[in-house]
Parts: sequence; C-alpha cells; structure tokens
Amino acid sequence: MMWKFEIPATARTPAVTFDFAENHLKLTGESYPEDVTEFYKPVFEALDTYLAKLGKGSCRFDIELIYLNSSSAKAIMMLMDKLDAAAANGASVEVFWYYDREDDTMQELGEEFGEDLANAKFHLEKMAE
Amino acid sequence: MDGRDLFDLRATLQRQGIIFAFSGYMTETVLSGVGEAIKQKLTIDDADTKTLRSVFAVFVEQMQNIIRYSAELAAQSSAADSPLLEIRYGIVTIGQEGNEYVVQAGNLVAHKDVERLRGRLIKIRDMNKEELRALRKEQLRAAPEEGSKGAGLGIMEIARRASKPIEFDFTDVDDCYAFFTLKASV
Repeated sequence: MMWKFEIPATARTPAVTFDFAENHLKLTGESYPEDVTEFYKPVFEALDTYLAKLGKGSCRFDIELIYLNSSSAKAIMMLMDKLDAAAANGASVEVFWYYDREDDTMQELGEEFGEDLANAKFHLEKMAE
Repeated sequence: MDGRDLFDLRATLQRQGIIFAFSGYMTETVLSGVGEAIKQKLTIDDADTKTLRSVFAVFVEQMQNIIRYSAELAAQSSAADSPLLEIRYGIVTIGQEGNEYVVQAGNLVAHKDVERLRGRLIKIRDMNKEELRALRKEQLRAAPEEGSKGAGLGIMEIARRASKPIEFDFTDVDDCYAFFTLKASV
C-alpha cells in the first residue's frame, strides 16, 4: 500500500495531503472544482483503501478550508461519513475542522458536520492567524 | 461607427451601481476569471473577509446555476465518441446599493419549470436561519432532485450567505420561456 497520497492545491481545489504512514490526513485551501465528482473520486478511493486497513488503529483528519461551494459540501459530507463508519468499526478517528475566525459561516458549517459524527471525535478550531 | 450604444449600455450599468457585468455564454473559465477580478476589487475596496467570501460564494452559486440550468443553450450534436459540447446563456451583475454588495443573475427557464422553482424559492426565502440550516442538512443527505445536477443546494447557500431575504422574479418572454432573476444582497 502507498504511504502517501498527495494532490497539490490549485485556485479551485484544495491541497490533499494524506500521510498514511503517520495516520495524518489533511485537506487545505479552497474547494469549488469545475467537476466535484471528478476531483473527489481518487481522493475517496485513496481514503477507502486506507480506512479499510486501519482496523482498530487511530487516525487524524484535518479540514482547513477557507471556502467550499455547495456541491463540495456534499463531497465533504460523504468524506465525514466514511470517517464515522471507520470509527464505528473500531478505529479511533479524530476530525479537526479549522475555520477562519473572520468567517463565521465556515464555523457554522463545521458545527453542522460535527453534529452528524456519532463515533469519530470532532474538534472545532480557529485557524492560526 | 458610433460608440454611443455601447456608452449608453455602460452608463445604464453605472447608474445602477453595477461594477461587474457579464452577459453571454457562461463557462467555468468565465467563473474563475470574473471571480478573481471580484476578489481583487473587494480587496481594493477594503471589504472585510466575511463580506468578500460571501459575495464570492453567492457569485459562484449564481454562475453555476446558469452553467447547469439555463434553458438557453448552444449545443453541438456530438459524434458518438466525443462528449457533447454545450454552453448556457445568462447574465450576472455585481453592484453596490448603499453599504451592500448585490449579486444578480438572470437566465431563461421553461414555463413548465417555473412553478416548481418558484415554490422552492419562496420556501427558502421565508425560512429563518435555523429552518434553513435544518433543510440544508436534510438536502445534503438526500439524493439529487430530478432535473438537478447539484442537489438543489445552491439557492440555500445563496440565502445563507445573504444579509437579507433573497428576491426573485419571473418575466414572461414567449410561449416557451420566462426570464428568471435572482437577487442577493451581502
């Protein structure tokens, strides 16, 4: 299995930094791709492969987005569902949602996603200035 | 040639406080380019972070609504092995009214779709923040609606980012189409 999965950021898509060896996964930047399905498909595939092998292990997922459009929100929800399902199967999963302190809409969005996590631990944090 | 027609068009836009206007076939590349210019203009205006992000967010959803749903389109019937080339027509303006930025979008919709769209707009317009939040969560979980390519979340995102209720109008164009306008203030 690969130890890293990375996609560099573009103006419209976030940086994906999945460090599987360290069990530390990250999404950073902005998300309003031209084609949401096309962008997130390989991301989900890499995540699925990793989570299937995680077992009772632990992982941390950081989401540090300054903006996402409505179709990306659906993709993030699916991602959260995958993490929560892994946690339900015995993994120890921590999700950190970082928001810009000057944009409370992103804070509210984080709260909404956090409410839906039944098994993974959720943390809402301000981005570093 | 006489430049007056174009000057008059510019004067009409400026009189309405419009700082950006695009009318034509919309593509994702237009969205990227105009979106970048909006960010630069609002940065120069010294708009605060939340205002800048909200204007941008409303603009993105308005543009993508046109790109996906406008009933006025140019299409090339494709060969079996190449994807269908299809672009849709609409108009988007960003302007200032007093202390607010206003993003307006317009495009043709088929008469048969007007009542369904109007119903959805009224429902969203009249919701408070809590109701909007609940509906949004429900829709995010639901399968995309029939005839919808974006789970119907765009209008909710516009309403959530707007500082007052969204406004909309349908104007009859001909037997087949109406002109749909959606206005959001930030």
